[in-house]
Amino acid sequence: MSQSDKTDNTLLVGFPSNGLIGTFTISYLVYHLKMKQIGEMEHPGLQPTLFIENGEIFGPIRVYKKDNLYVIMSDLPFDSELAYNFADSIIEFAKKNNIGKTIIVSGLESPNLDPKNPKAFGLVTHQKLEKILYDNQIPKFLSGTIFGTDAAVISAFRGSTIPALVLYCECHPFFPDPEASVHAITILSKILKVQVDTTEIQKKLEYLRIQHRNLMQETMAALQQQSERQPPSRMPKIYG
Amino acid sequence: MNEKDERYDIFSSSFLYPKLFDDIEEKILSPLSCVKELETKWVLEFDLPLVNKEAISITYDEGNIITVEAKLRETYCDENLNPKCEFHSFKKRITLPGDIDEKKIVSTFSNGRLTINIPKALRGHKIKIE
Repeated sequence: MSQSDKTDNTLLVGFPSNGLIGTFTISYLVYHLKMKQIGEMEHPGLQPTLFIENGEIFGPIRVYKKDNLYVIMSDLPFDSELAYNFADSIIEFAKKNNIGKTIIVSGLESPNLDPKNPKAFGLVTHQKLEKILYDNQIPKFLSGTIFGTDAAVISAFRGSTIPALVLYCECHPFFPDPEASVHAITILSKILKVQVDTTEIQKKLEYLRIQHRNLMQETMAALQQQSERQPPSRMPKIYG
Repeated sequence: MNEKDERYDIFSSSFLYPKLFDDIEEKILSPLSCVKELETKWVLEFDLPLVNKEAISITYDEGNIITVEAKLRETYCDENLNPKCEFHSFKKRITLPGDIDEKKIVSTFSNGRLTINIPKALRGHKIKIE
C-alpha cells in the first residue's frame, strides 16, 4: 500500500451496522466514483472469508483510493474484541496516509422513523469538524448511548489527533435499509463536494434488501453479542 | 421450557432474529424477521421486498404458530449461487411462547414490511391490596 504526502486526505469508513447503512452508502460511493482497490486489511481473529466476483478474489476488509479520498470498508461484522482491533488499524492507516478527516457512516435506530423521509445526524470527535455539520445543515446528534463497533471506532479517534465525523442516518435497525442509505449518500456527496447520481441504487432497492439478508442476520448476531457485554443503561441504545 | 431450547429463549438472537433457511428445491426464500415482546403483545416484523399486499397470506395454527407466505411479484435470481437459483416466494413460520389472543391478531403492510400485532391473552384474577 503506497503512502500519501497530501495533508488534506479524507478517509471514509463503512462496516455492517444498523440497517447496513454504512455498507450500502460506502460501497455505492466506491462503485459510483470508480475508486481503485489499493489493499486489504487482515486479522487472525477474523472468520476466514473470501468473496469471489467474476473469478476475482476479494478479502472482507478492503481499502480503496481515488485522488485524495480513501475508503476502508468491511463486509464482515465484528465482535467486541475485533471492533477495537479494527479501530486501531484505522487510526494506524490514517496516520500513515496523512488523513485530515475521517467520515464514518452508520445507522441509527429511531422510534419516530418515517421510512420515506429519514433524518441524518452528525457527531464529531473534534470541534474543528463542527463547521461541516453547520455548512451542510446536518443536525448534531445530541443524546443517546453508542456501543459496539461504532463506539470502538469513535473512541479510537477521540484519543487521536485525527478528527472524525460520524454520519448517523435513521433506518430500520434490523432489516437492510438501502432506501435510508440513499439519504446518507446524498448528504455524504454534499460533504465531499462530489456529484453522485443515486438513480442506480434506487432502481435496485428491493433486490438489495433480499441480497443482503444474510449479512444483516450476521450483523444482528454480532450486535446482540456486543450488547450483552454492555452495562445496563437507561439511555436509548444505538446499535452499531 | 427446556433451557437449552433457543426457540423459546426470548433473549437469544435466534429467537429475536430467526435464522434464514432458503429452500432452493422449492424456490422459497426465508424472509428476515424480528420479534419484539411488549407488556401486552408480541410484535412480529417481516421484511418482504418485491411483494404486493394481495400476495401475502398469514395463518395462525394451534401451538402459537404464525406462518407468513408471500408470492414475489417477479422471480428473484440469486447470482451468488452456482448454478443460478431462482426464487418465487417467501415463507417463514414462527412459534411464540405463552398464551396469545388469536382472535385479536392484526397486521399492516407498508413499504414492503409486514407488521403483525399479537395480543397476549390476559388470564388470572385480581389480587387485593391489604
